[in-house]
Amino acid sequence: MFNLSEEEIERYSRHIILPEVGGGGQQKLKQSSVLVIGAGGLGSPALLYLTAAGVGRIGVIEDDVVDLTNLQRQVLHATPDVGKAKAKSASETMQRLNPHVEIDIHQHRLTKNNIFDIIESYDVIVDGVDNFPTRYLLNDACVMKNKTLVEGGILRFMGLIMSIRGGDTACYRCVFEEPPPPGTVPSCAEAGVLGAVAGVVGTLQATEVLKILTGIGKPLYNRLLQFDAEELRFHEVKAKRNPGCPVCGKKPSITELVEYDYACETQAPKP
Amino acid sequence: MLKTRNDRTRPRLGLNLSVQGKKQAYSGPPDVRSLLEALGENSTYVNVRINGEVLDRRDFEKISLHEGDRIDFLYFMGGGIV
Ligand SMILES: [Zn+2]
Repeated sequence: MFNLSEEEIERYSRHIILPEVGGGGQQKLKQSSVLVIGAGGLGSPALLYLTAAGVGRIGVIEDDVVDLTNLQRQVLHATPDVGKAKAKSASETMQRLNPHVEIDIHQHRLTKNNIFDIIESYDVIVDGVDNFPTRYLLNDACVMKNKTLVEGGILRFMGLIMSIRGGDTACYRCVFEEPPPPGTVPSCAEAGVLGAVAGVVGTLQATEVLKILTGIGKPLYNRLLQFDAEELRFHEVKAKRNPGCPVCGKKPSITELVEYDYACETQAPKP
Repeated sequence: MLKTRNDRTRPRLGLNLSVQGKKQAYSGPPDVRSLLEALGENSTYVNVRINGEVLDRRDFEKISLHEGDRIDFLYFMGGGIV
């Protein structure tokens, strides 16, 4: 069922020729499934490379519409796509790039009520969200369901990457326990972001996914990698499982999913 | 755990720190908030670790720096709406 066709063997020949990947690794990719949350700045490069690499089934969650201001970094979408649903634009681009990939479109927002059902059928999840509430929701859900999550964030000239094996390695809350107080951290819309920085971070996320799926090398578990484009430096910070972590620590205070408010007035989680 | 750091009576001597993996000579007031200010970091959206220990963001001005401290800044990068 997962045998590669002649066309696929040719298409993926530069993978297959790598001894670490080979025909076996390429077949593993075809058998795998990856869910990317968001088809924006990070999701665009991640989705392009995962599609090109021949991951068998790729899910995309995105409920937004392509805006002209997105095109400076969201390379899945092009000028004629302005006004179109990002999910549709993303799947068209992906299908054109590689028709062998099965694409699942989830055209709605991730909430505490649908997240477990959505993430359940995927091997690895990629965080390309544009807000803190969903970022924390996704982390908590992946910890609770022991899912593998590849985190990524960008702001201005900086980026961050971290891989998490939920319930096993340090999670996002082990490092960033709670979301920053509302209004203290500027958004990309307010503070700006160099488009190519999204490309660096999203491509690193795709690299991590491909390594994890094929078992190649050493994933970024228990390590947080920060990227500073102004000085062109990477800075790695060791991250340990935090015994006081509210979701994966010894006595977790979060045992059910919480959704932080999107509005700026309050930081309190909704019951 | 942080008690030993809460002492502000240290003389103001220059310190040799390691900041984000780079050597950094620092001669300002020896507390975390002053260091952040001196380096142009915004203390409202950065978490700080000294020698691997994450600090409480509310205590930045009470936490003193010591010779040889390894300091990492962890930036919140959500991209988003909060
Ligand atoms: Zn944790």
